[in-house]
Amino acid sequence: MSDRPDALEVLAAEYALGCLDPAEMRMLTERASQDAAFAAAIAAWERRLAPLAALVPPVAPPPGLWARLEQAIAPTTEVAAAPPRELPGSVWRSVRFWRATTAGALALAAAFAGLFLLRPVAPLYVATLGPAGGPAPTFLAEARPDGSLVLRPLTSVQVAATSDLELWALPPGATKPVSLGVIPRTGVPRLTVPRIATASTQLMVSLEPAGGSPTGQPTGPVLYAGTLRGLE
Amino acid sequence: MSRELETVVPDMSPAADLAALLRACASGDRAAFRRLYDREAARLYGIALRLTRSPALAADAVQEALLQVWRNAARFDPARGAPEAWLVTLVRYRALDLVRRTAREVPGLEPPEAEDETPDALAGLIRSAEGAALQRCLEALDPERRRLIVMAFVDGLTHADLANRLGTPLGTVKSWIRRALLSLRRCLEP
Repeated sequence: MSDRPDALEVLAAEYALGCLDPAEMRMLTERASQDAAFAAAIAAWERRLAPLAALVPPVAPPPGLWARLEQAIAPTTEVAAAPPRELPGSVWRSVRFWRATTAGALALAAAFAGLFLLRPVAPLYVATLGPAGGPAPTFLAEARPDGSLVLRPLTSVQVAATSDLELWALPPGATKPVSLGVIPRTGVPRLTVPRIATASTQLMVSLEPAGGSPTGQPTGPVLYAGTLRGLE
Repeated sequence: MSRELETVVPDMSPAADLAALLRACASGDRAAFRRLYDREAARLYGIALRLTRSPALAADAVQEALLQVWRNAARFDPARGAPEAWLVTLVRYRALDLVRRTAREVPGLEPPEAEDETPDALAGLIRSAEGAALQRCLEALDPERRRLIVMAFVDGLTHADLANRLGTPLGTVKSWIRRALLSLRRCLEP
C-alpha cells in the first residue's frame, strides 16, 4: 500500500462517519469552512458512506411534523416582530437552546456540517457594527442566501466574566428585536446563526448578564449597532 | 455470506425524481417540498430515530435537516453528489448534534441498546451501485472492524462510546477505525 499517512483524509472520513466528539467536530467544521480541499474530502466520504443508511428501516414520522415544517417555510418575515416565544420552528428553539447551553459554540459550528458539497455562495447583505459615533467598526456581519448570518469580530472585545454580549436583529418595520444568540466569549472567531435577514435589518449587540438576556429582550446597553445593506 | 440476492425492487415512489424535486424546491415550490417530504421523511426519521433513540429529538433532526434542504436547494449541485446522500448526511449531522448536546446536559442518559450487526444485514445495502460497492468492500474488512464502522454510522457512536461498548481500549478502537476507513477507500477507489 502506498505509505501515505494522509492524516487529513482519515480526519475527513472520521468526520463523515460521525465518530468524533463534538469539540473535534467543531474544530474540523471550522477548518472545512476555510479549506476547500478538506471540505471536498469530507463530502467525498459523506457520499461513500451514505449507502449505509439503507441498513436502517424507515419509520413513519410523527403526524405533526409536516405541519411544523410547513409553518417554518411559510413566507412570513413579519414573524420576527412577534415575541420569540411564539415563533415557529426549531430554529428559534435552537437559538434559545444555544443561549442556555455552554456548548453553544459547538452547536453553532455544527449547523454548517453537511453543507460542504453545496456551491459556495457570496454574502447577500453585510453590515458593520460599531459603537455609536465610534471611529471604527467592531464586528462585520454577513447574511448569506442560505439563511445563515456570520459575525466576525474586527477587533478584540473584552467583556467582564459576569456579562455576555448578545446579538439582536430588528427587521424593517418590527418593533421588538429578536435575539440571535449570545456571542461566544472566547476562541470562536465567528458566530453563525440560521436566520433569514433582509436589507435594512438592524443588528445590535447588547451587554447582558452572563448567559444572555433573561427576558428575551435587551436588558443592557446597546454597545454596537449597524444595518444590513445589499452588496452592489 | 451466501445469501440469496433477491430481485431488487426500488421502493421509491414512482417517478418522483429527487433531483427534480430539489430543483423545484429551489424555485420556492412548496408543493414539491411536500412531495419530497412524503417521499423521504420516513427514511430520514428512521435514521434519526436510530441515532437519537428519542422520537422528539429525531423529529427535530428531520425538521432541521429538511429546512436546510429547503433553504439550500438552490445551491445543490447533482454533479457533486447524489441527492439521497445529501439528505442522509444532513439528517445524520443534525441528529448527532442534537443527541450529543442532550447527552452532555442530561447525565445518565441510557446508551443505545446493542443491536445485532450481522454481516448478513449488509445485504440490505444492495440497492444502488454505490451501496453494492460499499457492501463488497465492507465484507472484505475484518469482522470486528466492520462492526465498528457500522455501529459508528448507524448508532452514532463516538470513538469513546465504541471503546466503552466493546470493552476495547480507546487507542485500539481509533486505530482499527482508521485502518478500516483507509481500507474502504482503497477498495472503493482502487
